Amino acid sequence: MIRIENVTKVYKTGTIRLTALNDISLHIGPGEFVAVMGPSGCGKSTLLNILGCLDRMSSGHYILNGQDVSTLGGNELARIRNKEIGFIFQSFNLLPRMTVLENVELPMVYAGVSARERRERALEALSKVDLSERIRHRPTEISGGQKQRVAIARAIVNNPSIILADEPTGNLDTKATEEIMKIIQKLNNEGATILMVTHEPDVARFSKRIIRMRDGCIIDDRPVQSRTIL
Amino acid sequence: MNLIENVKMALASIWANKMRSFLTMLGIIIGISSVIAVVSLGQGGQNTITGEFEKIGANSVIINVDSNNAESSDYITFEDVNQLKEKIEYIRYATPVIQISGWASTGTKTKAALVFGGSADLYQIENSDLLYGRYFNEIEYEEGKAVAVIDSSTAKRLFRMEDVTGMTLDVGPKTAQKSVTIVGVVKSEYDMFADMASDDYIPAVVYMPATTVSYIFSLEEVTSRVIVMADSKENVESAGNLAKILLENRHGNRGRDVYKAENMMKQLDQINTVLGIFTTFVAAVAAISLVVGGVGVMNIMLVSVTERTREIGIRKAIGARTGHIMIQFLTESVIISCIGGILGLIFGVAGAYGLGRIAGISPHVSPGTVIIAILFSSAVGIFFGIYPARKAANLDPIEALRYE
Ligand SMILES: Nc1ncnc2c1ncn2[C@@H]1O[C@H](COP(=O)(O)OP(=O)(O)O)[C@@H](O)[C@H]1O
Ligand SMILES: [Mg+2]
Repeated sequence: MIRIENVTKVYKTGTIRLTALNDISLHIGPGEFVAVMGPSGCGKSTLLNILGCLDRMSSGHYILNGQDVSTLGGNELARIRNKEIGFIFQSFNLLPRMTVLENVELPMVYAGVSARERRERALEALSKVDLSERIRHRPTEISGGQKQRVAIARAIVNNPSIILADEPTGNLDTKATEEIMKIIQKLNNEGATILMVTHEPDVARFSKRIIRMRDGCIIDDRPVQSRTIL
Repeated sequence: MNLIENVKMALASIWANKMRSFLTMLGIIIGISSVIAVVSLGQGGQNTITGEFEKIGANSVIINVDSNNAESSDYITFEDVNQLKEKIEYIRYATPVIQISGWASTGTKTKAALVFGGSADLYQIENSDLLYGRYFNEIEYEEGKAVAVIDSSTAKRLFRMEDVTGMTLDVGPKTAQKSVTIVGVVKSEYDMFADMASDDYIPAVVYMPATTVSYIFSLEEVTSRVIVMADSKENVESAGNLAKILLENRHGNRGRDVYKAENMMKQLDQINTVLGIFTTFVAAVAAISLVVGGVGVMNIMLVSVTERTREIGIRKAIGARTGHIMIQFLTESVIISCIGGILGLIFGVAGAYGLGRIAGISPHVSPGTVIIAILFSSAVGIFFGIYPARKAANLDPIEALRYE
């Protein structure tokens, strides 16, 4: 479903060239739950941003659902981010002036969904993440764990092909981390494809497959042995 | 994503920065309100002047003796004026117009006076509003009777009462005033000055038969100005020309072009043209402040784009296209400008009526002015909003997301 071939990403700052991703190839099938691990600065976020069509690669190919997206323009990429990708960020990235419900509705606004259907689907997504109270509050008025649940609801509301999570539990305590991982596992059980960046081995063990990176290369890729199931 | 949602979103973000949004609008408010006030007062002024002119007669022609090349024998005698009225079919009314400064006293009070002399037709030609008594008549004019008509504010200031018919007034040069009987009171043309504190400086206004004025001020019975009134608009032009020819025949000065006939309507056109240019000029100056207001909008929108870089990144990450972001920011700047425009319109109209009250002009707010003001403020919003909106729309999503 997701396939990247010989992807390289080079950052040029002034005269310095930094190779963040070095000739990476990877395949992720439907229903997988992949954790990407590795030391800070090894290129995990860069990989995730390229997979999420947020960033462009320097060379290589990216085939998403059979379509080569390496050549698409900005607005077509935006459409793909809207329909095929669900992002979950470490810092939640909710819009502070909108209510929880409005935040979850926003991807559907850009998809052109009618107001009535938006409301229905947003409520449904929120119930999937066990958040039915405080939905008319603003993100500043809820806890970190709740914020991340809102972000997950926002990520799944357009039924994306893949959910990309960059250290989703990085800002959360143990209890909230478990809550979030439980929801992500549940979504995976229901068929969602998930790729999650983390540097915590405990968190990685919730996944089914772990990819290890170093210096922009994949150095290890294997199924999880003793998986934690919540 | 439809218009209503965009407007809602824009209003929310404008509301989130109430003070800043209002200050930004202020530039537009000042610009639009000053343009509206100036244009409304200008148009009101034109209407007032046009009304005045039409009141004294669109049919009137003023004949002036060109003092630059006139000899004493060229001046128009009172008999000439009678002849104009008798001989020229088109002329319905004719009066000499003498205007001279003098003094008027009631015995207890002495004031500077503006004395007007004319025939009994002055009443029709000035289109005076008679409040009390009567105007002086033809016989009084023929015989130079000591009668006068004063205006209402003069009556109030000299006698502290309104109906002063039958009272006597001493009128004339400072040292040689003569008693005249007041036969009527007309409505004051200068009412707007009447309430002013320093009314001591406002002269008394006295209308008398021209013959009487000549006698009192020891002048010859001639005038340098005659006003005639034609029987219809169509005949105004001919009435003026015929009057000129008759005068030239009587004085034997044809070819020297001593008499200048001025059609009142023509004069009105000239005044309106000048006033129109003046209004346009002042409005243009005011419109510059609108441009300054527009720059203010652009400035604040740029600040807003920078402040909300992360928001833009988030929106793009979840699927906002360039157009979505562009429209979002453009809607905001247009709404700021439009609210500014509407408030400006309200303040402008209020200001026009406020200033109009002081200046004695009733402003004219035309629908055209209102529509142009609103369209123009929207245009300002679009024009000065495009650059910031483009800047927002073209942000790189990943860099915008990283922005702290
Ligand atoms: N915009 C950028 N400009 C220059 N270098 C960058 C940029 N983004 C990331 N990098 C560099 O690329 C490397 C990989 O970064 P990143 O993918 O964020 O690492 P990780 O997520 O694994 O911590 C790092 O060395 C980082 O400094
Ligand atoms: Mg990272």
